[in-house]
Amino acid sequence: MSTTAAGMIFIVSLVLALALVHKPLGDYMHRVYTTPRHTAVERWIYRLLGIRPDTEQSWGVYARGLLAFSLVSVLAVYGIQRLQDKLPLSVGMAPVTDHIAWNTAISFVTNTNWQSYSGESTMGHLTQMGALAVQNFVSAAVGMAVAVALVRGFARSRTEHLGNFWVDLVRGCVRILLPIAFVGAVVLVAAGVIQNFAAPHDIATLAGGHQAITGGPVASQEAIKELGTNGGGFYNANSAHPFENATSWTNWVELFLILLIPFALPRTFGRMVGQVRQGYAILAVMGVLALAGVLLTNAFELSAHATVPQAVGAAMEGKEVRFGVSNSATFGAVTTLTSTGAVNSFHDSYTPFGGMMTMVDMMLGEVAPGGVGAGLYGMLVLAVITVFVAGLMVGRTPEYLGKKIGAREIKLASMYFLVTPALVLIGTAAAMASSVQRASMLNSGPHGLSEVLYAFTSASNNNGSAFAGLTVNTPWWDVALGLCMAFGRFLPIILVLALAGSLARQSPVPASAGTLPTHRPQFVGMVVGVTIVLVALTYLPALALGPIAEGLS
Amino acid sequence: MSTQVLETPSQVPAPKKNGRVGGGLLDPRQLIRSLPDALRKLNPVTLWRNPVMFVVEVGAVFTTVLAVADPSFFAWAIVVWLWLTVIFANLAEAVAEGRGKAQAATLRAAKRDTTARRLRSSDAVDGDVVGAAELRPGDFVVVEAGEVVPGDGDVVEGIASVDESAITGESAPVIRESGGDRSAVTGGTKVLSDKIIVRITQKPGESFIDRMIALVEGADRQRTPNEIALNILLAALTIVFLVATATMQPLAIYSKLVNPGVPDSVALTSDGVTGIVLVSLIVCLIPTTIGALLSAIGIAGMDRLVQRNVLAMSGRAVEAAGDVSTLLLDKTGTITLGNRQAGEFVPVAGVSEAELAEAAQLSSLADETPEGRSIVVFAKERHGLRERELHGAEWVHFTAQTRMSGVNLGERQIRKGAASAVLRWVRDQGGHPTDEVGRIVDGISASGGTPLVVAERGRVLGVIHLKDVVKQGLRERFDEMRRMGIRTVMITGDNPLTARAIAEEAGVDDFLAEATPEDKLALIKQEQEGGRLVAMTGDGTNDAPALAQADVGVAMNTGTSAAKEAGNMVDLDSNPTKLIEIVEIGKQLLITRGALTTFSIANDVAKYFAIIPAMFAAVYPGLDALNVMRLSSPQSAVMSAVIFNAIVIVVLIPLALRGVRYRPSSASKLLSRNLYVYGLGGIIAPFVGIKLIDLLIHLLPGMS
Amino acid sequence: MKRLPSLLRRHLAALRAVAVLTVLLGLVYPVVTTGVAQALFNGHANGSIVDRDDRPVGSALIGQSFTDADGNPIRKYFQSRPSAAGDGYDPTSTGASNLGPDDVVDTLPAHGEEGRQSLLTRVCARSKAIGELEGVSGARPYCTPDGVGAVLKVFPGHAVSVNQACPAKPFVTAYKGLEVECAVPGEDYAAGRTVPIRGDAGPPQVPADAVTASGSGLDPDISVAYADLQAPRVARERGMPLDQVRDLIRSHTTGRALGFMGEPAVNVLELNLALDGK
Repeated sequence: MSTTAAGMIFIVSLVLALALVHKPLGDYMHRVYTTPRHTAVERWIYRLLGIRPDTEQSWGVYARGLLAFSLVSVLAVYGIQRLQDKLPLSVGMAPVTDHIAWNTAISFVTNTNWQSYSGESTMGHLTQMGALAVQNFVSAAVGMAVAVALVRGFARSRTEHLGNFWVDLVRGCVRILLPIAFVGAVVLVAAGVIQNFAAPHDIATLAGGHQAITGGPVASQEAIKELGTNGGGFYNANSAHPFENATSWTNWVELFLILLIPFALPRTFGRMVGQVRQGYAILAVMGVLALAGVLLTNAFELSAHATVPQAVGAAMEGKEVRFGVSNSATFGAVTTLTSTGAVNSFHDSYTPFGGMMTMVDMMLGEVAPGGVGAGLYGMLVLAVITVFVAGLMVGRTPEYLGKKIGAREIKLASMYFLVTPALVLIGTAAAMASSVQRASMLNSGPHGLSEVLYAFTSASNNNGSAFAGLTVNTPWWDVALGLCMAFGRFLPIILVLALAGSLARQSPVPASAGTLPTHRPQFVGMVVGVTIVLVALTYLPALALGPIAEGLS
Repeated sequence: MSTQVLETPSQVPAPKKNGRVGGGLLDPRQLIRSLPDALRKLNPVTLWRNPVMFVVEVGAVFTTVLAVADPSFFAWAIVVWLWLTVIFANLAEAVAEGRGKAQAATLRAAKRDTTARRLRSSDAVDGDVVGAAELRPGDFVVVEAGEVVPGDGDVVEGIASVDESAITGESAPVIRESGGDRSAVTGGTKVLSDKIIVRITQKPGESFIDRMIALVEGADRQRTPNEIALNILLAALTIVFLVATATMQPLAIYSKLVNPGVPDSVALTSDGVTGIVLVSLIVCLIPTTIGALLSAIGIAGMDRLVQRNVLAMSGRAVEAAGDVSTLLLDKTGTITLGNRQAGEFVPVAGVSEAELAEAAQLSSLADETPEGRSIVVFAKERHGLRERELHGAEWVHFTAQTRMSGVNLGERQIRKGAASAVLRWVRDQGGHPTDEVGRIVDGISASGGTPLVVAERGRVLGVIHLKDVVKQGLRERFDEMRRMGIRTVMITGDNPLTARAIAEEAGVDDFLAEATPEDKLALIKQEQEGGRLVAMTGDGTNDAPALAQADVGVAMNTGTSAAKEAGNMVDLDSNPTKLIEIVEIGKQLLITRGALTTFSIANDVAKYFAIIPAMFAAVYPGLDALNVMRLSSPQSAVMSAVIFNAIVIVVLIPLALRGVRYRPSSASKLLSRNLYVYGLGGIIAPFVGIKLIDLLIHLLPGMS
Repeated sequence: MKRLPSLLRRHLAALRAVAVLTVLLGLVYPVVTTGVAQALFNGHANGSIVDRDDRPVGSALIGQSFTDADGNPIRKYFQSRPSAAGDGYDPTSTGASNLGPDDVVDTLPAHGEEGRQSLLTRVCARSKAIGELEGVSGARPYCTPDGVGAVLKVFPGHAVSVNQACPAKPFVTAYKGLEVECAVPGEDYAAGRTVPIRGDAGPPQVPADAVTASGSGLDPDISVAYADLQAPRVARERGMPLDQVRDLIRSHTTGRALGFMGEPAVNVLELNLALDGK
C-alpha cells in the first residue's frame, strides 16, 4: 500500500472511531453535567472543600471561583517546582529557575503546556505527576466547566444561575477525565510506554558507549496529556519520544484520545439545549475545518516542497520512521487544531506550507475542534458572530437558540475574538522589533519570523506546541509568553461567562419560519466561511512575511 | 367595536406599489445639492461617532502631512482619494437626510402662525384671541369653517368635515366629531364646514407636525439596538485591522533587514512600509463600505416609511417591525373591505323581494359610496333591475346627522340607512314599524353582517344585508407571512361563527371573536409572554392600552389622540393593511445592513491580493504569485484598491437608500440569495473593479 | 468590609480544592496506574530493556549509535539515523534539529569562530558519507559533489557559491552569464539573492531517513530501504551470506499496524543483536 493511501485510511479510521463513540460519550457527559445526584466520592470531596454543591452560582460568582482556583493552582505549581529538590522523587533535579517556573505554572494552569524547559533534565517525578499532571486534569476540567456554563446560558432563561463551578470542576475530573485517562494509560503501557518511578540509569550500549535509560510515571501523564488536550510532554521530544509514543498504533490511540472529548462535546451541547441537531451543526463546522486542516497538512508534507525536503526526497527531518510523513502530518494538524500542543514530529522542520498550516490551525482560534471545552465555547462565540451578520440578512434581530444577539452579546463576542489576535500580533511585533529577542531565533529570514509568530500564536491560543527552534528560556520570553498565555486563557473565559450570564437572563424567542435555521448545511458553511475569513484577514500580513514568503520563494 | 358602517367615511385604500416594498429613486442632482452638507460633516467632532470613518479621516490627515513633507504624484493622488472616501461617506448620510428635509419643508408650510379663539371653559360662549403658540394642554378653542385648527386636540363638541391634506396629502375631507374614535384633530388642518370646540392636548412646540418635522429631518435620530450592535462589531473589526497593520511594521522592517540587497521601493523602505501605503492598507481593510452607509440606511428606512405616509416615532419601532412574529389585524378595513356589499334583500312580511329590490335600487342610484353601488349592482344581478336615468328626482344625501340617504321621486320618498335613523324617520312620518324589522336587523347583525333598513314614507320595506367582502389577494399575502414565520390573528367583534367563516376565507392563522379591548390586551400579553413580538393597528381610545403594549402599534391618523399617543407609529392614510408593508420595510432595513456588512468584509479578500504583493514582492519576489489580478505596478495596485474602496461607496448609495430587494420567503431562502449576491458578489466584484481601475490608471505618471 | 470574608472563603475553598485534587489526581492516580502497569506489563512499564548475556544493553524502544569512540560507524553494525539528541541518541537531551526547510546557507568557519552548517549541507554531507560507506552514489538534488548545499548568492555583477569555502572549486562555473566564485569565510553575502541550484542528480540512492535527524533523536528504527542499502556491507564485514542478513532484516521489520498505521520500520538494536547472536 502506498504511503498516501495508508495515510488516508489512517484518517478515515480515526473519523469512524470518533463517529462511533461521540454519541455515547456525549450523552454520558450530558448526564454528568445535568444530574442532581452526587456520588459518594464527590460528596466526600465537597465536604473537604467546604462547599455546598447544590447552590447555584451567577456568572460573576462562577468566574470568581474559577479565577481563585486558577490563582491557587499557579502558586501551587510554582511552589512545587521551586522546592522540588526538597521533595521526594526529585531524581536529582535542582529547583527550577524562577522565570521558567513562573512560565511553566501559567502554562499548565492555562491548559497551554508551552514548555520552555526540557522535561528530562528539569522536572523530578513528583513535579511531573503532582503538579503538572494534576493541572492536565484540572485545567481541562475548567475548560469543560466554562463550556458547560455557556451552554446553560443558552439552555436556561430568566435566571442568573449558571451552575456551580466546584461541582462542574470535580465532576469533570472524577467522572470524565479520570476513568478514561486510567484506561488510556494502561493501554499505552501495554504498547511499551513506561510507568515506573525509577531514576535515569546508565547502561553499556552494544557499541561500547553509555546510554542513560530514563524512568518515570510517563503513561499516566501521557494519557491525560492527550485526553485533556494539554500536550506538555514528559520529555522534551514529547510524543516523538518512544517512551511516550512507542508504536505506530499508540500514535493512533493518542490521536483518538486528543479528539475524543472535543468531538463529543457538541453532542453534549445539543442534548443540553434540547436540540441534538444544533449540536451536530457545530460538530459539522468543527469536522469540516478539522478535515480540511488535516488533509492540507498531509498534502503539503507529502509533496515535500522547499529546498531541503526536495534534496532529501521527503519531508523526513524531525519525523520518526515508525510514524512516517503522513501520520506525522496528521498528528501535527490534530495537535494544533485542538490546542493540545503535543508533537510527534517537529513543526519547525515541516515544509513551509505544512508549517503554515499548523499555525493557521491555531489561528482559527482553537475551535476545530479546539481544546476540551475551550473549543466548544470558542466555536459558539463564532456561531454568535455568524448569526449576527446572517440574522440581519434575513431581516430579523439575530437570534441563536432562541436568544437574541443584541448589543451586549455582540460586544462580549467581539471582545472575545479581539483578544487572541491582539496578543499574537502585538507580541510578535514586540519581539521582532528588538534585535535582542530576535537573537533567540534559530533560523534566519522568513523562517525565523515564523518561529516567533508561531510562539506567540501558540501561547496566546493556549496550544503549547512550538516551532521549537526558538530559544525561549530567557526571562523576556518566559514573561512575555506567560502573559500571553494568561490573558489568552482568562480574558476569553471571563467574556464567555459574562455572555453566558447575559444569555441566561433573557426570555427565549420561539423559532418560526422567519428564524434563521442554525442546523442546516447553509449555516454550517457560513460559520466555516466566517471563521476562515476572519483568520485570513487578521493574520494574512504576518503570514505573508513568514511562511508564505518562504513557501513561494 | 363599531359596526355602524355608514358613519365611516369612505376610505380609499392607498394604492399599493406593485404590492412590494419599493423605494424612492435617487436623483443625481440630490448628490450635488447634498455636497455642502457632506463637507460640513468632515468636522471631527461630529465624525467621531462613526469610528470607521473617523479612522479614515485621521488617516487622510496623516497622509496629507506626509504628502506635504515629501510630495509626489502617487502620494497626492492617494491623499485625494482618502479624503474623497470620507466625503463620499458623508455624502451618503447627507443625501439620506436631504430627502427628509424636502418633506419637512412642505410640513413647515402647513405650520403657519395661526391664532386661536380660546374659551375659558368648554361651555363658555366666547373667548379671547391668542397666538397658537400660547395654547396649553387643557385649553379649549373654537374653530369654525374656513379656520385652521391651532393645535392638536380632541373635539369635545360639534361635528365638522376637516381637510387634512397638509399632513396626509389626501385631498378628500374627513369627518371629525366629539366623542367616539374620530375625535382627534391635528394642528395645521383646516375645518371646512360646521363649528367644533377642541380641547388642546399638545404642549407648545410638541405638536404632531413638530414631531413629524423632527422625525423626517432625522434631527433627534437615535441609534437603534441593532445598529448599535452592528456598530460594535464594526468597531471591533476596525481595531483588529488596525492591530494587524500596525504590528506588520516591525515584521516588514525585519524582512527588509534580512534582504539587504533589495533597494527601497515606494511601498517599503528600511523604515518599514511607507506611511502612505500603510494608511491605504488600513483604509482598504476596515469596513468602510458599511461604515459609510450605515446611518444612511437607517435614515432611508425611516424615509421609506414616510413615503408610505407612515410616521415611526422611533427607529426602534421600525426594527421591531422586522422582528414581529404575530400580527393582530382588525377585520374591518384590514381583512374585509371597510365597505361591505349587498348580499341579500330581506323584505318584511307583506312586501315582495322585488319591491324591496326596486326601492333599494332607487335609493342608491345616486349613492356613490361603494355600499350604494354594490346595492345597485346586486339589484341588477339578482333581480334584473337596470340602472335608469330618473328625471325630477331629488337626491337626499347622507349626512353625519341624518345617517340616511335616499331619494324623493315625486310622491315617493325612499330612505335607506342605519336602523335607528330610518326607524325614527318612519315614525316621524307617522309609520309604525313592526317588531319584525328589529328581529331581521338583529339577525343580520348577529351573523356579522350590516343591516340597512329601507323604508318608503312611513312604511318599512325590508332590510338590505350588507356582507363583509374579504379583500382580494390577502390570502396570498397571509401565506407569504406564514412563510416568513409571522402568525396572523384576526380581531373582530363578530360572533365566533361569523369570525371563523371570514377567517377561513381570508386565510388567517387564528381569530379573536367578540373581542373587547381587554381581550386584545390580554392576547398581546400572552403572545409576548411566549417571546413573540406583536404588531397591531388601532384607532379608538379604548385601543390605546393595547397599542401601548404592542411592540409595534400603528395608530390610524383618523383615530383619537390617545391612540396616536399610545402607538409608536402613525399611519396618515389610516390604512390598516399597511401593517404588512411596515413589517416588510422593517425587515428590509435589517437585511440591507446585513448584506452591506457582508459585502464590505468580503471585499477585503481582493484588497489583500492587491496590496500585499504590492508591498512585499520587492523583498520576496515569490509573493508576486499572490498578484492574481496581474496589476501593473505596486503604486497602481495600491491606488486602484483605494479608488475602488471609495467609489464603491458612491455606487452603493442608491442601494442603501432604496434598500436591498426583499421578497417575502423563508429565512433560509432569503439568506441563500443574499449570501450569493452580497457574499460571493462581495468577493468577486472588487477583483473585477480593481483590475479595471488598474487598466485605466496605470498609464498615469508615477504609476510605474 | 463584607467582601473580605467571601474573598477569603473563596480562596480557602480553592486552596482545599487544589490540595484534594492533587492527592487524588497527582498521587492516587499515578500510583494506582503504576501498580496495575507493573503487575500486568512489567517489561514494558520498565522500558522494554533488552539483555545480552543477562546484561542490559539498551531499550528496544530507544535507538543507539553504532559508532566508535571517534564517531565513525562500526561497519559490522547496521547504522541508526542521524540524531539531534545531545551528541547523538542521548535520552537526557531529546529533540530534533529544528532547522527549517529552507535553511540552506552555511556560516563558514572563520577567524576562530566555529561556523554553522545549514540543514541542506548536513543532508548533503550525510548523503555523501553514507554513499561512500555503502559504495553507492551519494549524489542528491541541491547538493554539490563535495557534499555541501549547492546554493548561490547572486549579486548584480557576480555570483558566489556560499557553502563552498575557498579555495574549493565552485560546483558551477557560471550562472546566467555571471561568473561563480567560491566563498570567502567571514565575508558578508547577505545582500545577495539566494538561489539554490537543483543540479541534475537523479533520484537519490541514499534513502530519506538516512540523511535526516528524527524528531526525538532516539528513533530506534530505520526504513526498510536504508536497511537493505546497508545489508551488503554488513554481510561483507561479517562474512555472512547476504540472504541471511536480508532474512534477518525481514524478521525484524515491523509492518504497519493493522496494515495502515505508520510505516514499516526495522528496529536497529534488535537487528544488530540478532546479528551478533548468529
